[in-house]
Amino acid sequence: MEENKLINLDEFNMSDEELFSRVDHNSLDSEKITAPRYSYWQSVFRVFFRNKLNIVILAVLAVIIAFTYVYPAVIGYDADVDPYQNLLDPTAKHLSPSAALEKFGNHISWILGTGKSGESTFDAIWYGSSISISLALICAAINMTVGVVVGAIWGFSKKVDAVMMEVYNIIANVPYILLISVVVLIMSANFWSMVFALTVTGWLAIAYFIRTQVIIIRDREYNLASRCLGTPIFRIATKNILPFMTSVIVTLIATEIPSYISYEVFLSYIGMGLKDMSLGKLIEVAQDAMFTPGWQLEFWSPVAVASIITVVLYVVGQNLGDASDPRTHM
Amino acid sequence: MTKYLLNRLLRGLLSIMVVVAIVMILIYSCLDRNQIFASDSNYSHLKSNAKEIYKLQQWEKYGYLDYVPYADWLNSLLKTGEIDQDTYTSAVKFGDTAEDDSETVAQYVKLFTDEMEADGYEVERLPGQKQGRKYKEGGNPRLYAYKDVPLINRLFNYITGIFQVDNIHYVPEEVDIGERGLTFTLYDPLYTDPQTGEKKFSPAIIGNGTKNKYLLYFDDRFPYIHQNLLTIKLGSSYSISKDTDVFSIMTGAQGSQMRSEITYPTGYKEISADNLHSATYTSGSLSAGGAFLSARFTDDYTTVATYKAGLSKVGYSFVIGVISVLLAYVLAIPLGTLMALKKDKLIDKLGTIYIIFIIAVPSLAYIFLFKAIGRSIGLPGTFDMENPTWLMYVLPIISLALPSIANLMKWLRRYMIDQMNSDYVKFARSGGLSEGEIFRKHILKNAIIPIVHGIPAGVLSALIGAIITERVYSVPGAGRLLTNAINAYDNGVIVGMTLFYALLSVVSIILGDILISLVDPRISFVSKKR
Repeated sequence: MEENKLINLDEFNMSDEELFSRVDHNSLDSEKITAPRYSYWQSVFRVFFRNKLNIVILAVLAVIIAFTYVYPAVIGYDADVDPYQNLLDPTAKHLSPSAALEKFGNHISWILGTGKSGESTFDAIWYGSSISISLALICAAINMTVGVVVGAIWGFSKKVDAVMMEVYNIIANVPYILLISVVVLIMSANFWSMVFALTVTGWLAIAYFIRTQVIIIRDREYNLASRCLGTPIFRIATKNILPFMTSVIVTLIATEIPSYISYEVFLSYIGMGLKDMSLGKLIEVAQDAMFTPGWQLEFWSPVAVASIITVVLYVVGQNLGDASDPRTHM
Repeated sequence: MTKYLLNRLLRGLLSIMVVVAIVMILIYSCLDRNQIFASDSNYSHLKSNAKEIYKLQQWEKYGYLDYVPYADWLNSLLKTGEIDQDTYTSAVKFGDTAEDDSETVAQYVKLFTDEMEADGYEVERLPGQKQGRKYKEGGNPRLYAYKDVPLINRLFNYITGIFQVDNIHYVPEEVDIGERGLTFTLYDPLYTDPQTGEKKFSPAIIGNGTKNKYLLYFDDRFPYIHQNLLTIKLGSSYSISKDTDVFSIMTGAQGSQMRSEITYPTGYKEISADNLHSATYTSGSLSAGGAFLSARFTDDYTTVATYKAGLSKVGYSFVIGVISVLLAYVLAIPLGTLMALKKDKLIDKLGTIYIIFIIAVPSLAYIFLFKAIGRSIGLPGTFDMENPTWLMYVLPIISLALPSIANLMKWLRRYMIDQMNSDYVKFARSGGLSEGEIFRKHILKNAIIPIVHGIPAGVLSALIGAIITERVYSVPGAGRLLTNAINAYDNGVIVGMTLFYALLSVVSIILGDILISLVDPRISFVSKKR
């Protein structure tokens, strides 16, 4: 082997001064530890895509997003007109998929039949899921941001903790449905008032969860050492604790987003939901159809789509949470 | 420990009061108060001035404001002796407008206005609405003052009104009711046959001058000993069940009447569902009730409740809830242990799929799915109070148990896997214990502590009921009460239910803490003195 061959220095015909130069001891360089280049997010995605199941689920998610946001725009779905276009035609109502395809011609809109005003179930579902998913994403974004920031402060400061614990004990006892219904009654049941209702106290539970996590990590030895060395609190929070919590936060997002979709369905079912035809509203409107033979598809198709969306988002989030735990990067 | 718990309980009660205050602000100040008339048929039948007065009377009744009609104010002056009967009679007849008033009336109206406005009231005068010479329907002139009740007063009145102790001064002092007092008897007169004089040993306390005739008595219904001395009032309902107290709505029996032969105090016998032990005082009812009541009763304690066949709202919710909680713990503990024991094996993967299904799928969707599956195998899909069978409980219980099983399994598996790498487990393994022994005797005991904390909450929240499950299976339980009240703008019920929810949540957290400190001696809530 080439590398193993011993080199005889005499072959160069040079003096020692020419061959060697003195290396000074550098105290800065000696502090550096050589390690392979490590990029956190690159490793996260490497671990995430190592699992082939995740690629399949991401593909499903891409299809859902395409149908939710692109499909209604492509067919020019108008929420004020399309649900009622066959309202006056009694033969167009509650059609099975085959009957609807026969009546209206072979178009993708009719593959799930028609609903009780003769509207296309398929189109209504995708328009509804665009409302539901948008609501879930916006609420999750607001609640997570406020919750993580407040939770971090809450966990760090003992004074804030004493106050916030009492606030939490009180607000957690106000029935959530009551709060939502009061907000909806005062502000009317539109999209943004629903966002307000879901976020006005929704961040509190997340903040409480983060607070507990921060308290667990806050007093570990490495943070104690860091504090003794004079690291400011802000840098401890962002450099020492936040990286530790990334996987917790990602896992939390994974459970939060589907939970808002479920919650929206629940609120619509008890009659406190949106006025827009979201997925929850579609399920509520179609609940009578569930027990009529031949009409069940009107109920089960929005339920199935809502379930698929929530399961996919949950699984992606969970696996991303697992992948974002640095201990899995080895 | 006792001191600590008492402190916790007091702080909990304080936070409950704050919760009630917040809810009162939300519903009394933030919501449009006209909404309470949305489903009131009396209101829609009234016209003109009478409608305004009805609104004010109802608002006073439901705690929004304090309403003083001019005549009531004059009456109070008459009672205190400031004016005599003649002045009262002439002053009370005010005209259609201020110009029509006589001199005396104008003088007293001015006095009324000044006095009330000084107290912060708003005085309003509705002129008479005439059609020709006669007043229109409900068009009489009105004069009154009103003031919104401040939150502090409302809260204070509500909290002091929660517990009501029956006393012998309940019947107004001017009513001659005979000697007021409580009598203790060993032989309940209701079980004494008036003809034969046959007695039955059954202690009872009977009141005269109290609201309830029987303050303490025994009968053959669970829980066999009953009392009427202390009543809990959580606020009265407006539209859900008019004028009934929230506590009685929740705990009152439902369903069809249960008839049996009963003997009334006069000795009259009849097949009836009347529960004579529940007799309450209604002033002058015996003489007003005519021959029907006088054939049956001997005094003014004539208002009776009836025996009903079904359970109460809370009763149905509790039966379903408690069975499902028990089922959940009995099934989830072995299943969760098995998942941790066979980590990454088939059984763990199947369990994970089930947990993901329950967490991710909207609860409404899987409850409907269970209902569809249950009906296809012949289980009853709706609850029928009149023809009770045990089978109708099956689907609601399963629908409630399956999600809590998933939740318990998820956490138990997590806690056990976290414990598996602990030093004490390695030590036990090196000591030669079998895996089953380690899991059952060592890991489970440590992992179950956080799970145990949730038991009181699980049992107590069964009293609240489940919103979706009860609606899907049409269970007559307590779960739908709050949502129905919100949809019907029934403020009394909303406040009462909030208090009930908050109390249960505070108590269940405290009980959970006590329970874990019993299960795990390492946990102590008081710092030991060294």
